[in-house]
Amino acid sequence: MLEALGIAALTLAALSAGFLIALVARRGALAREERRRSELEARLRPLALALVAGDDVELPELEADERAMLAEAIGRLSRRVTGDARRRVAAYFAGTTPFDAELRALRDRRAWRRATAAYRLGDMACGDATPALLDALADSDADVRAAAARSLGRLGAGEASGALVEALVASSVPRAIAFRAILDVGPDALRDVRRLAADPDPALRAAAVELLGWLGDASDDALLIDAVDDPSAEVRARAAAALGRLASADGAEALTRALDDRVYFVRLHAARALGHVGERDAVPRLLRQAREDRFESARAAADAVARVDPDALLEAAASSDAGPHLHEAADLLRV
Amino acid sequence: MTALHDVALVVATVTLVYFTALNLVYLAFTGVAWRSLNRHLRARGHAPDEEVFSSPVTPPVSVLVPAYDEEPTIVDSVHSLLALRYPEHEVIVVNDGSRDRTLERLRDAFDLVPVRKALRVVVPTAPIRGVYVSRRHRHLWVVDKENGGKADALNAGVNASRYPYVLAIDADAILEEDSLLRVVRPVVAEPDVVVATGGIVRIANGCRVDRGRVVDVRLPKSRLATLQVLEYFRAFLIGRVGWSRMNALLIVSGAFGLFRRSLVEEVGGYSSDTVGEDIELVVRLHRHLRERDEPYRIEFVPDPVCWTEAPETFRQLSRQRRRWHRGLGETLWRHRRLAANGRYGALGTAAVPYFLFFEFLGPLVEVLGLPAILVWWLLGDLSGVFVAAFLVVAMLLGVVLSLAALTLEEHSFRRHRDGRDVVRLIGFSVVENVGYRQIVSFWRFLAFFDLVRRRGDWGEMRRKGFTTVAEAPLPR
Repeated sequence: MLEALGIAALTLAALSAGFLIALVARRGALAREERRRSELEARLRPLALALVAGDDVELPELEADERAMLAEAIGRLSRRVTGDARRRVAAYFAGTTPFDAELRALRDRRAWRRATAAYRLGDMACGDATPALLDALADSDADVRAAAARSLGRLGAGEASGALVEALVASSVPRAIAFRAILDVGPDALRDVRRLAADPDPALRAAAVELLGWLGDASDDALLIDAVDDPSAEVRARAAAALGRLASADGAEALTRALDDRVYFVRLHAARALGHVGERDAVPRLLRQAREDRFESARAAADAVARVDPDALLEAAASSDAGPHLHEAADLLRV
Repeated sequence: MTALHDVALVVATVTLVYFTALNLVYLAFTGVAWRSLNRHLRARGHAPDEEVFSSPVTPPVSVLVPAYDEEPTIVDSVHSLLALRYPEHEVIVVNDGSRDRTLERLRDAFDLVPVRKALRVVVPTAPIRGVYVSRRHRHLWVVDKENGGKADALNAGVNASRYPYVLAIDADAILEEDSLLRVVRPVVAEPDVVVATGGIVRIANGCRVDRGRVVDVRLPKSRLATLQVLEYFRAFLIGRVGWSRMNALLIVSGAFGLFRRSLVEEVGGYSSDTVGEDIELVVRLHRHLRERDEPYRIEFVPDPVCWTEAPETFRQLSRQRRRWHRGLGETLWRHRRLAANGRYGALGTAAVPYFLFFEFLGPLVEVLGLPAILVWWLLGDLSGVFVAAFLVVAMLLGVVLSLAALTLEEHSFRRHRDGRDVVRLIGFSVVENVGYRQIVSFWRFLAFFDLVRRRGDWGEMRRKGFTTVAEAPLPR
């Protein structure tokens, strides 16, 4: 027993020493790395800016670590630029060793390396990476799929929009990332999104309708108005929200009708949307909802009246049967 | 003499077994935490906060601040909450019948005016005296109510909240600018699955604070508070990371926890009849969702930071620890059917038994075990060398665990930039094992008597307020 304790003590002492050494070494290494990076970055950032801006600069002879830092700086800049500047970033990386290395790394056995590669390929802005990134959307690792989706969005890969919407619905990529990526693809994604708005799967229809609220235009009004009568409550609610986001005056009638929907969250989104559309004819119906409906949808109705017709709100709030939501909205109006 | 001998033998053996098992568990968790943090850090490299900030699907959040006699720190805290970088959030301070000028300080600082706010009545609370909104910050609300305790104040906040997620934080806490964005990230990623998340709590004593923001991270001058810095490293970077990985996180700190509001309402809100309302709510959520076989996750996120003021006197610290321990005991008792129950997955088979045997009953073993070993030695059954070797091993285990936590912190977040602070923490990793840990165990032991007497309170602590830039000494 005593011998075991002795061995344990020695092991623990060695572990303590190990942690101490790791702690000191890590701190020292990080401090050196930070100094080196800040020195390199200060030196190479102007060059990266000049290259992205299209200034006439000659690329000097660079060491390997300087090239890597320059690539990183250009990659970071590419997240903030569009148009010609982004095309120059793509031209800088196209066919280069770093670009090919990242494409190869998408097949690395280590998941974190594949995820990093997928992310960097988005920074490199080269459309050539799209097929490989589409494959990476089906990777077994969630981080790789998420990084690939982000990059497909940053590349504006219109051909990926269908796969991104499917990934969004299947939750194989986190909702926020897939959603953002589709918005980043922009109008090029609309054709696929409109097609999916008529899909038999209600989950796909709901996602597509929601996206139309962000990406669509006046030509989508008819499709969204139809969707307010969809059999799926989820689709109806998102269609109402989308009409509000597009501030569709044509949708006002459908939205007013949706205030009578049997599902409360459809009524809630319809009320909010009418507030955005500014539909004065819906005010009496909204006032009724603010007095009588469930908490959230009543609150949404009161807020909508405050936006559309403040005088009507103040008048209604003065009556004895106004209820708490109209009182709150009226008080906030006066603050 | 034989009876004493037998008792001493049993207690000492239990102590040895307990001690070995506990530290093996800790060491295993250190390994799990190391892996998890590495993965988290790598993923963070390609998941910028900007993404959550600019996402149209990031949910709006109601920040709930229960306040009871928080006059010295409340204005700074609210400033820090209003300055959070987040697309849409409201701050709801619930003044729980404070006896000091908490409400007046808020009214003066934020130009509050009374409004007739619509309040849900999903969770009953003590009577509401009034609701105010700030003229300067339209998303700042103050609910003034009669005293009902922290849980009751949080329930009033839940009833007043407008948004689908609520973030409960302590009134003396300061959140970093991006903390809300980061703690929400798992929810944004999997909104249908993640029902609650918690971030890391760090100690603000010694740090310099400017307008509700920590601008310079320093160790506290107080030795007692510095010892707690190490404890927090161990608890958060090792314990919570490990349990979160197993989806068996029992504690989302009351100082900084995000919850899906509808679910909190569904389970009846915070429980007012326990002093551990944070742990009790989390266990109840686990139980509720497991009993319904619903897929869910409760996650710990290691990088969003909540800075809080730690007790600097033995009296305050002992009250805090006794309260925490009593809260744990009450929760374990209330949810005792979870223990060793396979129906509840890792929660029932690992987390609850661990918290029962090691966290809750641990002080009994620690406080009674050492005297038992000494008695065993005095009876001549143990050699002095053995006792000394045992104490050395016990101390070294403590040192190893603290150094592991410190190394994890340096490897991951490295908030203490001053090398002298790190040297000091290394020193305290050794010192805490002689005296401090034993005292803390003793306080937790005393909580058993509190449990029997059912003594409870809000956990009153005299606030010093944070060291502001103007008051702080200039950096050397």
